[in-house]
Amino acid sequence: MNDPYSVLGVSPSASDDEVKRAYRDLARKYHPDNYHDNPLADLASEKMKEINEAYDAITKSREQGGSYGRGGSAYQSQGAGQRQYAGSNAQYVQIRNLINANDLAQAEAMLNAMSNHDAEWYYLMGSVYWRRGWMDQAGQYFRTAATMEPGNVEYRNAVQYMNQGGQAYRPAGGMDMMGGDAACNLCQNLICADCCCEMVGGNLIPCIGCR
Amino acid sequence: MYGYVRPVKGELKVSEFELFQSVYCGLCQELARRYGFLSRFLVNYDLTFLAMLLAGPEQAMTCPRRCPVHPLRPIRCLGGCESLQTAADMTVVLGWWKLADGAQDKRGVKALGCKLACFALRGAYRRAAASQPLLAAEAESDLRRLRALEEERCPSLDRAADAFASILRAIASGQKTEQRRRVLGELLYHLGRIIYILDAVDDLADDAETGSYNPLRFRFQTADGKLSEEDERTLRAGLQLSHNAISGAYALLDGNPYSGILTNTIYLGLPAATQAVFAGTWNAGAKLKRERSSL
Repeated sequence: MNDPYSVLGVSPSASDDEVKRAYRDLARKYHPDNYHDNPLADLASEKMKEINEAYDAITKSREQGGSYGRGGSAYQSQGAGQRQYAGSNAQYVQIRNLINANDLAQAEAMLNAMSNHDAEWYYLMGSVYWRRGWMDQAGQYFRTAATMEPGNVEYRNAVQYMNQGGQAYRPAGGMDMMGGDAACNLCQNLICADCCCEMVGGNLIPCIGCR
Repeated sequence: MYGYVRPVKGELKVSEFELFQSVYCGLCQELARRYGFLSRFLVNYDLTFLAMLLAGPEQAMTCPRRCPVHPLRPIRCLGGCESLQTAADMTVVLGWWKLADGAQDKRGVKALGCKLACFALRGAYRRAAASQPLLAAEAESDLRRLRALEEERCPSLDRAADAFASILRAIASGQKTEQRRRVLGELLYHLGRIIYILDAVDDLADDAETGSYNPLRFRFQTADGKLSEEDERTLRAGLQLSHNAISGAYALLDGNPYSGILTNTIYLGLPAATQAVFAGTWNAGAKLKRERSSL
């Protein structure tokens, strides 16, 4: 394993507070919320694991020297868990699994072969476009799905997440592209990201509390 | 290319500004050295960003040089490192295609100017394409795809942006590790999207007047070239999502000597350019500058 101090970018003589601050900054940067449905999510979660291990190693060695302890285990990488989609027909379950596995061409082909275009069809088509980086089209499909089935929380959250411009790490003083105040949407985004993320088998809220 | 991808100068440290200048001037020198004097006119901020983005972790050599713009006081210029060479090749490839595009799209004196410039730079283009055969082929096929979409008046903003963004993504294919290819590919793809969409917003009013193709005219069905408040919000949210993708990818890159400038460009420069384009002041600023320099 790499030197835990260089992983966190602090010197071995740094105080506990400095280590903690460095850890928090990095955890905020590589947090899975920022890689919601992102093709690079695997790389970010590796990085997160590395940071957690480094922080654990440092706190453990300092604990032995009588310093403070953090307690609790590090953030666990969740991976693309398998999830049961209640109420979905078998074909949609298969398509969702293809999307999760990033096999977008196959998922799109299956969707195109279907003749019945209900709300879920539009939602899944939107998900295919989203993964591809075609944000505008994804939004149009999500909106159609939400209009067809206004009571569906999954579709509504996807629309809301898109309308707010999603969520990302931004360094202090960084600006956003929306021309508004970036900070005030943060909490709303977190909640939406959680609901939206559940579509691919993730669940964000339990891991929000970065230590 | 378009110049949207540039740092906010006032927020750079003096050392960072000097470093930035060494890359910009280095790119210009590299163009002159490899592709002749005329290719210098193609130097731009977007490809300067590319040169910095692709650079490795080590500090590259610089040396002071004079040029026609700085005849008295020599400027420190970056020496021929690999990322600078790639950026120079792509400057010529993309610049030449932009001129070729202009020769077809524009009318009158402007079209003639583009045609002449294309003709004058044909040797440079041939050499750059020989230096980057895969990228030149990709650029050619993507731009043909884009032209076909323009001709059929494609209403999908994403499809049109994809043709352009794919060229930028291809630049990452020359990277040495799989991880860098993936990360930079994602970053450049979304950067390409943002550039394409900003350019479309910028040109919307003009295109509506002349009846030229602009994806936004068909995506949002605007007759007068103005976006409604809601359309603008939708569009900016989409740009934000691409910006998020850039953020995510950028965080996964190892730092290099240009990190400060790159961070400034991504988190201050791009938002500022977006703000200016939507406010309609981007072109106005450029026009003013042109008028001043012609006085």
